[in-house]
Amino acid sequence: MAVNPHSEPAKMEQIITEFFAKSLHIILESRCPYVSSRNYSGEQILYSPSSSASSSSSTRPRDKWFNLALRDCPAALENIDFWRQSNLEPMVVDVVLVQRPLNWDYTSSSPNPRVAFERNSSSKDRFPFVWKSDSDEFGSDGSTEKIIERWVVQYESKKGCKEACSGSKRSSSTSSHALYKKSILLLRSLYVTVRLLPAYKIFREINSSGQIRSFNLIHRVSSSVEPLIRRDEAEMQQFMFTPVETSCGKLHISLLYLPSISDTTSESSTPMSPQFIPDYVGSPLADPLKRLPSVPMPQYSPSSSPFGRRHSWSYDANRASPPSALPSPSPSPTYSESRTLHSKFGNHPHPHPHRPPTSSSRYPSLEIAQVHNKDMGYDEYVPSPNFSPSTSPSPPMYLQGSNMLKVLLRSDSAPVYIPTSRLGDAPLSSNKTVLPFSPPHKGTRPCLSLLERSSSALQGAKLLKEDHSKPSGVKISSNSSPHKSFSRSCSRLSFEDSYDDSEFSGPFVVDDDELIDHGIGSRPGSSDRSGNLGTPHERAVGALVQMLKKAPPLQQDLNRSHSLKQIQIQDPPPVAASNMAASSSSSRVSPVKTTSDALEELKVYMDMKQLLLRQSGKS
Amino acid sequence: MLSDVEYFEIREVLQCILHTIFFHRALGLVRPKDIDLQLFEITYVQCGDAELEKKVDEKIDQFIDKVEKHPNKKNQICLSFFEVKNKQATWFTHKVEHLYWEQWYININVAQHPKPISGKSHHSKLVLDPGESASEERNARRATLESSLHEVLFQIIKFVNEKKDHIPPIPNMEGVSFPYEITISSSSDSAFGMDMFKRMLQTGHPTMLS
Repeated sequence: MAVNPHSEPAKMEQIITEFFAKSLHIILESRCPYVSSRNYSGEQILYSPSSSASSSSSTRPRDKWFNLALRDCPAALENIDFWRQSNLEPMVVDVVLVQRPLNWDYTSSSPNPRVAFERNSSSKDRFPFVWKSDSDEFGSDGSTEKIIERWVVQYESKKGCKEACSGSKRSSSTSSHALYKKSILLLRSLYVTVRLLPAYKIFREINSSGQIRSFNLIHRVSSSVEPLIRRDEAEMQQFMFTPVETSCGKLHISLLYLPSISDTTSESSTPMSPQFIPDYVGSPLADPLKRLPSVPMPQYSPSSSPFGRRHSWSYDANRASPPSALPSPSPSPTYSESRTLHSKFGNHPHPHPHRPPTSSSRYPSLEIAQVHNKDMGYDEYVPSPNFSPSTSPSPPMYLQGSNMLKVLLRSDSAPVYIPTSRLGDAPLSSNKTVLPFSPPHKGTRPCLSLLERSSSALQGAKLLKEDHSKPSGVKISSNSSPHKSFSRSCSRLSFEDSYDDSEFSGPFVVDDDELIDHGIGSRPGSSDRSGNLGTPHERAVGALVQMLKKAPPLQQDLNRSHSLKQIQIQDPPPVAASNMAASSSSSRVSPVKTTSDALEELKVYMDMKQLLLRQSGKS
Repeated sequence: MLSDVEYFEIREVLQCILHTIFFHRALGLVRPKDIDLQLFEITYVQCGDAELEKKVDEKIDQFIDKVEKHPNKKNQICLSFFEVKNKQATWFTHKVEHLYWEQWYININVAQHPKPISGKSHHSKLVLDPGESASEERNARRATLESSLHEVLFQIIKFVNEKKDHIPPIPNMEGVSFPYEITISSSSDSAFGMDMFKRMLQTGHPTMLS
């Protein structure tokens, strides 16, 4: 046992690191349920067909460590890699039993993503989510969690270790050889022990049957010991492996475990288990402790079943407490799906009822844009069609022209989102998700948003446009079917199909495309909406005409006329509302067009304005 | 150590114990093999060494044979590990010396069929109510045995972990395990077990019997 003083500490450290890795591997290998059931035994048989243990032809380097070949365990491997870097930190592995209420409804309850979460996230990420033990009893959908095993693997280094190691000590107990040998032994014991503990039965249960169980095992690996609550701790028994002493410190493996895992797993139909456990526990504490787990359980398992059926998202939405955000796992195979579901509906506090564009379109303001923005953050990959179909193919609503909300709905839905995709191509610096919402923000300035998007070179044009567009809004308010014409002209994408634009013509149609219609009464429009609105609109038109008559001379500058008209708009509320709708719809639609389109439109507006002014001047 | 083992249970009980010991003493590269007992809810681990398995089974057969022949005796099986020292071969023919460094004694009190003889069992039966149904009794007995078997396995683990210094350095192994032998003895002396156990541990006791 010659000891090379230089390489010895390095060797020791390597052994210890590998020891951590191997321990974790051993533990998780027998606690982390496989995807497919029971194939491992077959695999084992293949592994050792004969006395080939010493034949290392197929031996991977990992297997050679501690002379113990283990099966692959992805969960362990992914954690091991992490631990190799954070050398010599304590390693705490909690094995958690998750149980659903007994009559948990598999179909109605959405599968829970925690398992996936636990497994997939890297170790560091996982730490913040380590349970408070108090909440062990609750999963988010009424399932219960219980830490049934806590393994602590740690290396306690002595002070002065470096000197001791680098000094040429060569007693057998300090050598890396001795350490290695003892580590082998400890790991063998660990390997046997994990199979003797009650949790192993659960693990086997989960693996051995194809059927879905109402319980599952998950694990959490961390570097810090989260204190257990007293009750749990009292229930647990401790098992300490004799530490391996080295010249530099001690290698410990200790274990806290539940000597009896509550009857809920007695689905396993082992008539013996209730009988051998008391004997096995053996300690005077055993009996009272054994009762304990069953005391809190009943209130969750059988009696709380009605509450356990909550859909995960609604449950999450109703519960403000942090644990609710962490649903408990289920062994369902649809991890990834459930996860997306969860992120869509569970994580953020605005489940889909909030997301129809209704709310945002009614208040085309920045805050709505933000809300949506937030949603988009979560639903980044949710295609916008989710939104539009619900609203755009709704001609009936649309026809209820007096219903501003619905008009808005209509105008907001498709036009907003269809541009979204196009805007992605625009050479714009701003966020895609923000863009669709900016137009509503400037609801009275139909083309502004477009200009903004196009380029800064158009700043001047924008101002001009703004001035003109607002008057156009005014004019719209004064005629009966402004939104019709606007939407048709601007958003034929969504409306032309369900909507024959020829039918919609207002007395004061200001549509850029349809100046012809100008001055024609709205009655010819065959739709209900135009019919309904005809009278009030006409009244409004009359009012406007009156106002215009009283208005200052034609020479007034654009700004003044613009402001005056805005005031007018507010006088007849219904008309103003529809006006808003129209303008906002047009504004939303405008992004579809090119800048030149917008400019043309502007020109048309200007012409219209001139025409209108002229008319009013004449009359 | 183990009492009230029924005849048909002997094999599994011994397999379980012996292999668990071997697993801690076969320090060469092993591919562990989990074995579920049929009669008990226990999973133990084998080294995945067919030769070893074969030997163990042979010995267990011998043991069962013996139990059949001498049903009233305490039966013992001993697993010994030794180092082989090549004595400087001189004029003696005895070239090889077995240096024992560890011996495990397993006492099994085999139950008599109609009614189990509960020797000095520390798991004394609660009540031997004649009105109790046979199957219930059997279940209880089985459960008791299972739990003591469980305990034995934990004892092995504990012992193996507490005492490590006496284990010789791991040779570059051809075989999985240190050299070992399994011996069977029986005695009517009930005190035999523990005394022997201690004595044997202290003094290597070469037994050439195989």
